[in-house]
Amino acid sequence: MASLISIRGLRKTYRMGDENVHALAGVDLDFAAGEFVAILGPSGSGKSTLMHILGFMDTPSEGSIVFEGEEVARLGADRRAWYRSNRVGFVFQSFNLLPRLTVLENVALPLLYRERPEAAAAAAAARVALERVGMSHRLDHRPGQLSGGERQRVAIARAIVGSPAIIFADEPTGNLDVRNVDLVLDLLGSLIKEGITVVLVTHDLSVAERARRVITMRAGLVQEDRQR
Amino acid sequence: MNFLERLRPAVVNGLRELRANKIRSLLSMSGIILGVASLVAMVTVVQGMVGNFRQFVDAMGGIEKITVDKQPLPKEQEHLAELSEGITMRDVDRLRRTVPLVRNISPEARVGFEKLAFDGRETSTYVNGVTADYLPVAKRWVDPGQGRFISDLDVLNLNDVIVLGSAVVPDLFPANVDPVGQVVKVRGRRFTVIGILNNIEGSGMQIRSASSRGSGGSWRWRNSGVFIPVSTALTKFNGNDRLSGLGLRIADPDQLRDAVEQTERTLLAAHKGLRDFSITTNEQTLEDFRKTEVAFKLSLGGVAGISLFVGGIGIMNVMLASINERIREIGVRKAVGARGSDLFLQFLAEAAVVSVVGGLLGLLVSTGIVGVMNYILTQALPTGAVATLDWAIMAQGLAFSVVIGLVAGVYPALRAARLDPIEALRHE
Repeated sequence: MASLISIRGLRKTYRMGDENVHALAGVDLDFAAGEFVAILGPSGSGKSTLMHILGFMDTPSEGSIVFEGEEVARLGADRRAWYRSNRVGFVFQSFNLLPRLTVLENVALPLLYRERPEAAAAAAAARVALERVGMSHRLDHRPGQLSGGERQRVAIARAIVGSPAIIFADEPTGNLDVRNVDLVLDLLGSLIKEGITVVLVTHDLSVAERARRVITMRAGLVQEDRQR
Repeated sequence: MNFLERLRPAVVNGLRELRANKIRSLLSMSGIILGVASLVAMVTVVQGMVGNFRQFVDAMGGIEKITVDKQPLPKEQEHLAELSEGITMRDVDRLRRTVPLVRNISPEARVGFEKLAFDGRETSTYVNGVTADYLPVAKRWVDPGQGRFISDLDVLNLNDVIVLGSAVVPDLFPANVDPVGQVVKVRGRRFTVIGILNNIEGSGMQIRSASSRGSGGSWRWRNSGVFIPVSTALTKFNGNDRLSGLGLRIADPDQLRDAVEQTERTLLAAHKGLRDFSITTNEQTLEDFRKTEVAFKLSLGGVAGISLFVGGIGIMNVMLASINERIREIGVRKAVGARGSDLFLQFLAEAAVVSVVGGLLGLLVSTGIVGVMNYILTQALPTGAVATLDWAIMAQGLAFSVVIGLVAGVYPALRAARLDPIEALRHE
């Protein structure tokens, strides 16, 4: 499989008082297109920091990231925003839908921050994405009117609406009941068929086991990287 | 990305937030509403007053007119009252000789409020004795085809001729009768109508008050007087040689002060030092008015300025509160690809929407204020009321509120734009 992301010597250092805290202490990893990967680790292991950096929300202190053949470790804020709206999708534990927008508007939101936003085209794309997650019947509802599982499906629709190369799912099942956990994980797992790389960030081993590759992190380093 | 393409969703968003927080938005707008309302009302009313007053002064003969009126002797001269001869035609001759700065002198002898009768019709109005000089001093004229004014010969011969104000004509004559050449009776005496004075009309600046509706509107009082030769008035009606006053018109308004001084000296000398006259100019009236105007503008402008300033602070305050409540939203928007500039624009547009809506409400309030002011001023001013709302002023008021909103929105919008997305998403 072609390499989507290749990271080498990635370090992230925070200054806390007089001490330097190494959130990432030299990470080397490769992600292929269409891979289903879980990043497992306790809190403080660096998995969230890694996700933020790979998701273009943050920049590393040191190291290199090659994304789709381009070095992206030192991009400016606007350029990173471009990657977030065009190449990356996020799914969060607490859904993070905007309460005043309808389901359709929430899903269309990433497209409105693109170079040439077209409201009609964005709405059409949002409909397709909502159909993909089985939420077509709730277009005009507000997030408050939906169950947790439904909200997470809408959030997944928002993550895929812009045809991203990679989706980061940060504890996506943390607020869901058992039935919905399966539904959401199946949905995420099915995205790889479309060539999307799915990165599941979790501290829950049973969730991580759903991925084909499990990367275990500890103290800012990759402890184990195994294919199943 | 095209600016307008980015602006539209930002404005839509702003309106949505406004709807979602109606009470809070209204409170934050109150300063802007009051500010715009007082600003627009103030400018409108002051402009109306200025315009109205200019007209008024012009109708009174402009600033090149000096008015001499008889007045009771001051206290310290009261015991000399018997020596006072009042203002007479002799003063007119003296002033002609000694004050060359004065071009026209119009002696006036008020006969009083008299009944005029023609062919069974009657009307009552003020009758004044004047000379030919009344026209240039009062800036009046007789339109072609409307006869002529009183001549020197009429004065010399004590002719029983009369010139009518235009407002009197419809009261006294049927429409098919040409008044010129007709004979009307004043206190039983027969006068031949020799002419009709031009009609004075107010401009659009004034609103006609209910009490003065009708032909001539609020200027009716300027169109309703009638005029006879001053000599006729003095000898056949008043029975003495005392004039009620003089109107003087000078050649050059720049020499007004000199002319006033010369007039005063001449009259004081002729009246043996008795101050049985007063001299006023429209310049003093204008000057007084200018001071009032400045005071009005400063005080009302201050009020408007302070409320707009407070309005700006209100908007900033509410925007900051709103951003604090929506940190999570800002994080989400950034996570899905919004740039700092997108969020800056969004929150700036929100502030602008609040201020535009506030400004529009302010304009609505200002129409009410102007209405009330007009009502009060119509009751207070003889010339009628004052002000009409002007689109240009309203547009300026609105533009001002938008500027305030934008200035007040910059800091909150910058804060939103600079929020770190990771921190924002963690915010509870």
